[in-house]
Amino acid sequence: MSNLTGFVKRLRDIMRNDAGINGDAQRIEQIAWLLFLKVYDTKERDWELDGEEYQSVIPEACRWGSWAAEAPSGAAMTGDKLLNFVNNTLFPTLKTLPVDASSPVRNAIVQATFADANNYMKDGVLLRQVINVIDGLNLDDYEESHAFGEIYESILKELQSAGSSGEFYTPRAVTDFMARMIRPRIGEHMADFACGTGGFLTSWMKELQKQVQSTADARKYGESVFGIEKKQFPYMLCVTNLLLHDLDVPRVYHENALLRDVLDYTEDDRFDVILMNPPYGGSEKADVKNHFPADLASSETADLFLSVIMYRLAKNGRAAVILPDGFLFGTDNAKLNIKRKLLGEFNLHTVIRMPGSVFSPYTSITTNILFFDRTGPTWETWFYRLDMPEGYKHFSKTKPMKLEHFTPAMEWWNDRRELSVDGFDKARRFTARQLAEDLKYNLDQCGYPHEEEEILAPLDLIRRYEEERSSLNAEIDRVLAEITAILEGGAS
Amino acid sequence: MTPQALKHSILQLALQGRLVEQRPEEGTAKALYRQIREEKRRLIREGKLKKEKPLPEITEEETPFEIPEGWIWARFGEMSQLLDGKKMQGASHPYLDAKYLRGKSDAAFVTSGKFVSTGTRVILVDGENSGEVFYVPKDGYMGSTFKVLYNSSSMFEPYVLYFLFYHRRDYRNNKKGSAIPHLNKSLFFNMPVPIPPLAEQQRICAKIEELLPYIGRYEQAWNRMEDFHQKFPADMRKSLLQWAIQGKLTEQRPEEGTAEELYRQIQEEKQRLIQERKLKKERPLPEVTEEEKPFEIPESWIWCRLGTVLHKLTDGTHATPKYTARGVPFLSVKDMSSGKLNYSNCKYISEQDHQELSARCNPEYGDLLLTKIGTTGIPVIVDTNQPFSLFVSVALLKFNQDLILNKYLQILINSPLVQVQAAKNTRGVGNKNWVMRDIANTVIVLPPLAEQKRIVSKLEELLPLCGQLK
Repeated sequence: MSNLTGFVKRLRDIMRNDAGINGDAQRIEQIAWLLFLKVYDTKERDWELDGEEYQSVIPEACRWGSWAAEAPSGAAMTGDKLLNFVNNTLFPTLKTLPVDASSPVRNAIVQATFADANNYMKDGVLLRQVINVIDGLNLDDYEESHAFGEIYESILKELQSAGSSGEFYTPRAVTDFMARMIRPRIGEHMADFACGTGGFLTSWMKELQKQVQSTADARKYGESVFGIEKKQFPYMLCVTNLLLHDLDVPRVYHENALLRDVLDYTEDDRFDVILMNPPYGGSEKADVKNHFPADLASSETADLFLSVIMYRLAKNGRAAVILPDGFLFGTDNAKLNIKRKLLGEFNLHTVIRMPGSVFSPYTSITTNILFFDRTGPTWETWFYRLDMPEGYKHFSKTKPMKLEHFTPAMEWWNDRRELSVDGFDKARRFTARQLAEDLKYNLDQCGYPHEEEEILAPLDLIRRYEEERSSLNAEIDRVLAEITAILEGGAS
Repeated sequence: MTPQALKHSILQLALQGRLVEQRPEEGTAKALYRQIREEKRRLIREGKLKKEKPLPEITEEETPFEIPEGWIWARFGEMSQLLDGKKMQGASHPYLDAKYLRGKSDAAFVTSGKFVSTGTRVILVDGENSGEVFYVPKDGYMGSTFKVLYNSSSMFEPYVLYFLFYHRRDYRNNKKGSAIPHLNKSLFFNMPVPIPPLAEQQRICAKIEELLPYIGRYEQAWNRMEDFHQKFPADMRKSLLQWAIQGKLTEQRPEEGTAEELYRQIQEEKQRLIQERKLKKERPLPEVTEEEKPFEIPESWIWCRLGTVLHKLTDGTHATPKYTARGVPFLSVKDMSSGKLNYSNCKYISEQDHQELSARCNPEYGDLLLTKIGTTGIPVIVDTNQPFSLFVSVALLKFNQDLILNKYLQILINSPLVQVQAAKNTRGVGNKNWVMRDIANTVIVLPPLAEQKRIVSKLEELLPLCGQLK
């Protein structure tokens, strides 16, 4: 087994000296496409051994073995020759590989991955050093491949602090918790329509893996995940991640899940399980709303995704979705209608509130996990507030959130009772009628008592302000409309 | 539209006869008017009402709006009067003053006064809120600033009360008298009242009741909006400051060096100055622990304690000097609580005293002052060459301004990172105190010098915009 320790550090040290790499996000992008090609190459050699005549979709000169691997003569391409090859041959070729809708997924993913990829490095010698480190990985070996999967995860985790790329990464403690509580079963199909780096897909697989007993099981296990990711960079990371998890055919598509009319979805488009952390505050063109019924058309992408989920969850299906506080307390018209539909047609049985620093440093916004299924309308909803564990003031790079921090929630899950701490609700149930009529769909219950004022990042603050303002404006408009109705209509 | 304006416009619709439809079968107000006058004559005969001068006819100009056919205008004094309540003594009852009737105080019991029974309406005739009507919740003795409001039983009382509420501001704004203002009785009794038939009065009131909960909701949403608008600019400012000192406002540029190097430079210079006896040797401060670091900072920055990057940290004189009418300004917290030095109300001391005090505490151009007693944590840059001395309530921070920007330190101290520490460490009774040792121990972040400059200029662009948010 080659030396995996210090893998990330070695790459970082080499790339630090290249003028083309500006910051963590670019460094990770650079590593990403190289790793993808290396992992794909390992997979291809497996497929070649499978017996049938395997034709690589990549032309011979561009395959990893031809230009990246250490040549036996020790004369592997380096320096300007290498740079020239990468920029003027490799990338243009891979970006324009002949693929179409009928191409098998394993061929299509190469072009999809490289469509927007970039080579940032400007020093051919340093690039050769980086390639050598990556080539040194022996991914044929099961142990090493598995160990590397962990390292890959740690590379992905760095995205959280790499500026805006943090939106592609959900901490694994959270995805593991959700995958566990959703209780996967062999034979089920799960989906994530904004899968980012594939955290929910891999957490689901980790949980489901425990149930695989036969080859038939293994086949169903391999076919159980489905993902859509709009942005090229996380798409590449996700595909690589799944290939590392031994999925031959990662069913992840480089598309925008919001661009299909929700009313067009049929049973075939529906899934038994949906796990998601939809992006919020996302930028979409205004006409994306045209794909939704008018009453559900929101400007907030998280709201639109929730609608997509409602239209794509199979009968008796289960879902767990991360949504920000703004969704819980927001009462603008679209949100009200979405919540009305959610409580009216789905069973929102649990809302877990998470503390503010779960996604830090990417954002300090407080988020929540909504668990619901399609077994009928909501009868009652349980709210549970997960408090910071002992000894933690907040999560950080050095003190990240771990699955074990969810233990109190997991214990409470099967033995639910109302709890209160220092006079503040921690766990409480509300009937659907209370939520609809008394609380008017304000789902911001069992929240965090504000001991220390949370300072939000400027953009988060602006977003919160806009949400509150539109909720309040909507409320004012509603009241005025009702008053007008009384004044005009009911003159008695 | 404020909730008050909303309520007012609904009441206006009511009084104009546009809230509910008119129904001919309910009759006209003419008959009602005759009833009102007959009842008044009868009660005067029975001695229950005072006889008064008749009120003048209402002219066209006096009517503020059109009213429906079946309605009639009359003056308020024709249907209502202010009475005294029965003088009684013996039984113990609560004294009904305004505070008690507002529910803001407990009952004080007395045994004599002007008795009024439960359900009576009383009206304030003296004081700020003259014209305001109250409901008597239990038998009691009426406060001296009140009178009993008598309304003709031919009128539907709630309608009359809404009328009075509608004109509340008119009564308030036109009080008579200067020492103790009181209700302008002439305005009060002459006010034209639009009178609908009795049944319609009842329907109008029912409609208003129907709308009250909606007005309540409107008021709630409105108040929350106001609250929000109020807090937002300050919250935005805090957010930007914190963002800046977390290193997120500016990009880090490796060519600018690291804060580690900067810190070393500062320490080396301090050592040298100590050797040259230009600086006093200080007690070393403890390292910043992990728990004390509330957020991540860029790799090129460092955490450290405020005291370690200063050349001198001292406070103004502990003894109150002799003040003079003119001389050298002697400043304390009140002269800089806006964030800038303000000499308009300051004290002065003699030139000689100032020289003595300067030996220990000598503020100079570019230094930073920091309030430490009372309102603590306000950083102020010394932007003048004029000499002045300080009181113990203000600390003086001296540092190498070529290595640390005073504007950066000011931003740093104004940020939540330091403000939270200041608040936590400001202790005591009465005028609270942020002691020198805690100030020195304050945990801060330090970026490379060039980045300090970039942070300062970015914020100079952004912070004024916050001011515009109000």
